[in-house]
Order: sequence, then structure tokens, then C-alpha cells
Amino acid sequence: MRFGEIELQHLGFIHHLAISQRRLRSFLSNFTMADVEVVDPKKCLEESCKPKCVKPLLEYQACVKRVQGDESGHKHCTGQYFDYWQCVDKCVGPKLFAELK
Amino acid sequence: MVGGGVIQQILRRKLHSPSLATPVRSWFSSKTAHVDTGSSGVRAFALLGAGVTGLLSFSTVASADEAEHGLACPDYPWPHDGILSSYDHASIRRGHQVYQQVCASCHSMSLISYRDLVGVAYTEEEAKAMAAEIEVVDGPNDEGEMFTRPGKLSDRLPQPYANESAARFANGGAYPPDLSLITKARHNGQNYVFALLTGYRDPPAGISIREGLHYNPYFPGGAIAMPKMLNDEAVEYEDGVPATEAQMGKDVVSFLSWAAEPEMEERKLMGFKWIFLLSLALLQAAYYRRLKWSVLKSRKLVLDVVN
Repeated sequence: MRFGEIELQHLGFIHHLAISQRRLRSFLSNFTMADVEVVDPKKCLEESCKPKCVKPLLEYQACVKRVQGDESGHKHCTGQYFDYWQCVDKCVGPKLFAELK
Repeated sequence: MVGGGVIQQILRRKLHSPSLATPVRSWFSSKTAHVDTGSSGVRAFALLGAGVTGLLSFSTVASADEAEHGLACPDYPWPHDGILSSYDHASIRRGHQVYQQVCASCHSMSLISYRDLVGVAYTEEEAKAMAAEIEVVDGPNDEGEMFTRPGKLSDRLPQPYANESAARFANGGAYPPDLSLITKARHNGQNYVFALLTGYRDPPAGISIREGLHYNPYFPGGAIAMPKMLNDEAVEYEDGVPATEAQMGKDVVSFLSWAAEPEMEERKLMGFKWIFLLSLALLQAAYYRRLKWSVLKSRKLVLDVVN
């Protein structure tokens, strides 16, 4: 909470806002560790690895379009799906454990 | 191989049989169904279609194989991977907590006793307290009756079901395997279990999973009976580490790795020590052999040639 006060002193523009110190402190206390929503690092990394694996992703999406019209029920996109996720996994694998305890 | 043989057979059938529709449909379920006349003018086109169909069928066969084997799991950099690396014991402790709260309702670990946890994840008092929470059937007593008593350190971890049949009945016919050796019982076990637990995804287009099963690309065949069990904050860790899905997966796999290979740390130390000593012994033996053979290796042979 001392951090909040230092911030207050350095941000000159806050003086122009009519926020009292006490109200600022209670505002900041809403963001203690207990209230921060945990974000799964694996999902996060998979999102960030998407741009690296655009080619297999586009292949998969093309396959989805082809399969959408299928009535026989035998067509599926497992191959392209696997290619995409293999690419993402290769990208995420070495980095994931650095984000975990 | 299979695709090539299939193509050959199809070409043979195309050349000999007048009706082309049935062989095509009986072999593949794909697009070129418009070929159904036997006139020679269309025959070349039919052969081309057969070739294309053969290639397409090969790809279908290949992808059926892919789902059969499951998606290959990536290699994660486990902290205990190195030649002299020990387990992360804090991770083992958290992993045991995850096992107890999430997995133990269905999976047994019948080869682990509470005393095995002492010095690895818990102190003796903690382990004793944990053991005392369970009821164990013991006996017979002096009157010949079986009785229940609170658990001791020497007792095994409790089993959720009395036997395999009960386990199958409670889980739609599927048996939740015992986890004591699971990381050794599966190919690339540690990475596989982690990938499996954190890899529940929507199935690819065209794949539908029946009611009661769930899609997991890493599971051979893709349809697994176990639902997604690791969800963010399912467990509240004692040490305050945020319990994300990946964190819980890492911890539980560390715990399962320890459970399967509790001797790992001692083994690595022994291995390092003995490989080092034996290398020295090898150098010594090499020197000694060359020393003894030097007599023969350095002799001179004189050929007295008779003209």
C-alpha cells in the first residue's frame, strides 16, 4: 500500500483529480494477489504461438470448409488438426515450464 | 505401402469390370462417384479418378492411423530431467494434494504407502495425520471378526473401488488405471500424462464423440472416458502457488513420476559415481594391457632370406 502512496506523489495529474488518498488506497487494495484472476499460462502461450503456426491453421480451416458440406459422415480433418496442434505444441513446450513454479 | 497396393487393385478392377460405381464406393467413401458408365471414352477419365481416389484414400487411411496412435506429445523440460537433477519435492507435495483431491476418487495408487511419503513430500507427523484420516479394514481379531481402525504409516493409499468390476461399473465400463506406475507404463509417460491432462480440446471438424466419452487428441483413438479434471483453481495449494491447469498438471505428473520411480535420485547418484569410477578403471586397465603387451608388440622379427 506504500507503493500506492509513492505512485500518488509521482503522478502529478492525480492532484487535479479529486481523489482522496484514502479512496485511492481502497481502490488499489481491490487488486491484491487473492483477487487477481489466475490465467492459465498454457492457454496464454498457445494463443501467442498461433501466429507461428498460421499455415497449418489455414489448412485446417480450409478442411473445415470442405467438410462442412459433407453428408456421408466419413470426412474429417484429424490430419490437419494434428498438424496444427503439433506445431503449437512444439512452440509451447520449451517455454511453458518457465511460467510455472 | 497399403495405398500403393490399393491403387493397383483399383486400377485392375477399373480395367476389367464394366460397372465402376460399386468398387469405388466399396473401397472409399469420397468424391468421385460420378463415374458409373462403362464406355471406353470415359474409361481413361475413370482411371484418373481411381488414381486420385487412391491417393485420397491413402490420406484417409493415414489420418485414421494418426488418430489411432494419438497426437504425439511434445517434450517438456522437466526439472528432474538432468543427469544429476533431483525431483522438485515441493512440486511432489503439491502433486500429491492434487491427486488426493482430484484423482483419488477414481484412481487407485495401491503400491504407495503413507510411509513412502515421509521425507519426500511430508514430515512423519504430517504423514501420520494423513494416514489417520482413513479407515482401514484389519483383522481378524481374537474373536475372529474383521474390524476397522484408523490408518497407520504402513498402510497403502486407499482404493476408491473394491475391485475392477466395481470401478468399471461406476465409470461406464472404463477402468481408471492404477497410477502407481503410470509414467513408466506409457510411452514417454511423463510428457504423455501432462499432455493428456492439459490437452482436452474441441474435436476436429467431422469427428463426433459419443455420449459418455470425451475428445482428447493425445489419447489413442481420441475418445477417452475421463472428463477434463484439471480446471483452474480446482485445488487451493497450501503454499499459495496459483493453481492453474498447467501448474496442477506439472505438479501431479511430478508426483506420479516420483511414485513410479522413487529411487531416481539415488539411482542417478549411483550411476554418476560408478560411471566415473569405471572410466578410471578402464583407463587403468588399458594402460596395464598395453604395458603387458608391449613386450610382444615391440619385438623385432628378422627374416633370413635364402636366395
